[in-house]
Amino acid sequence: MSTFLTFLKIEGKLVWKGIDILIFGICFPIILATLFGYLLNKDGLAGASNFELSYAAVITIGVLATGVMGVPLTIADYRHRGILKRFQVTPVSPLQILFAQGLIQLSSALVSFIGVTIVYHLLFDYELKGSWGIFLLTYAFVIIAMYSIGIFIGSLVPDQKSANVWSSVAYFTMLLFSGATIPYEVMPRFFQWVMDILPLSHGIHLLKQASTGEPLTDGLFHIVILALCIIIGLCGAIKFFKWK
Amino acid sequence: MILTVKKLSVTYGTKEAVDNISFSIKPGEVIGILGANGAGKSSTIAAVLGIEKSNYEELTMLGKSPILHRKEVFQEVGVQFQETNFQEGLTVCEACEQWESLYKHTADVPLLLQTFGLVGKETQLVKTLSGGERQRLAVLLALISNPKLVFLDELTTGLDTKARRLLWKQLLAMKEKGLAIVLTSHYMDEVEALCDKILILKEGKTVFHGTIQEVIHVSKKATLENAYLYYAGEEDWV
Repeated sequence: MSTFLTFLKIEGKLVWKGIDILIFGICFPIILATLFGYLLNKDGLAGASNFELSYAAVITIGVLATGVMGVPLTIADYRHRGILKRFQVTPVSPLQILFAQGLIQLSSALVSFIGVTIVYHLLFDYELKGSWGIFLLTYAFVIIAMYSIGIFIGSLVPDQKSANVWSSVAYFTMLLFSGATIPYEVMPRFFQWVMDILPLSHGIHLLKQASTGEPLTDGLFHIVILALCIIIGLCGAIKFFKWK
Repeated sequence: MILTVKKLSVTYGTKEAVDNISFSIKPGEVIGILGANGAGKSSTIAAVLGIEKSNYEELTMLGKSPILHRKEVFQEVGVQFQETNFQEGLTVCEACEQWESLYKHTADVPLLLQTFGLVGKETQLVKTLSGGERQRLAVLLALISNPKLVFLDELTTGLDTKARRLLWKQLLAMKEKGLAIVLTSHYMDEVEALCDKILILKEGKTVFHGTIQEVIHVSKKATLENAYLYYAGEEDWV
């Protein structure tokens, strides 16, 4: 079997054995989806309702937990314990290790996406107003951007402590201040300015527009920001990847 | 030459951990890098492998630079580090499978498991192996690619007498077939059993480089151990 597939199989088993991916990546977003279904206003007097808008936000939580937390923490752990050092003296490319880890974490983000979607659809009769094709494409784009940030952090951090710090900073600020949990629309103006800096805010804006079928007005700006995350994240990760 | 190192130095801050070391080996040759703890053995190996930054005049393995041609060089070079950590939750079988997948050509893994006394442990978690078993697994993984050159850093530390003898026998058989070995060891019986040449380091500098007969002859000592202590500057302690 090829190196990459073997990595996927073995590392996948190791990651899925861990309980944290299940709690943060899967259970938490699904519980939140259920809560939002009960709590949020479903009347869309002027356009989409808060509940409808929240779908685009909740599906990014699993992406955040796996991409921005899971990926860098696993890589930092492997670096800390000298596992990457052992890989350094083999023919494996760092890209294979990074992408395998990324894909494994992504598999749980997708389980989370399916779970949240089922809750929204079956329990609360949510209907996507926009086109599913455009919506899923936008979602894939946001996923790649978030994972690029995670891979960037994982490649650069010197030790596990700083991996913890940097991935927590990225995870919690984006979880709280990009509209993933608390909607952008209810935030005071000052916080909205702060939120405009965070990449995930732009991703959620795009997803909201795609989910409500609105034309992607000012979409270009959001796309540029996310594209920058991908370019800087991946190029930085390849250039500065540390084995030990 | 399968490995050539010329004037290699490693500096940590202002400290010269490895100072102007040169050596080379041919296929089928074994060189032992000896010295007290902290003499620079592991730093030398790390620098030769390209893990540690170093200055050198020449550094080639199988005719290529291990730094510029990492992927090609390490197809045919195996490494066992002094301390080997594995992923949490990994089994012996998975460790072998993962390592096998990295190389184009691999050795017969069931045979290696038998040679290294790990048959019946395949489904066991690596972390539940005894220290000696884990050490043997690390050496096994270094040999899984049928390498032409292998680095073994303290290969039998933590092994019992029988396991050490078995490992020597195995390595000598592979040496006969042309395997070149760079090893570090604190055991002089091991060095005598395996090495053609030795390099004794003291505070990062080469204090002796030659054969075992030469070191005994030149130092005018009766045994390799005494000759080693003489050169490594540990004689006063005995």
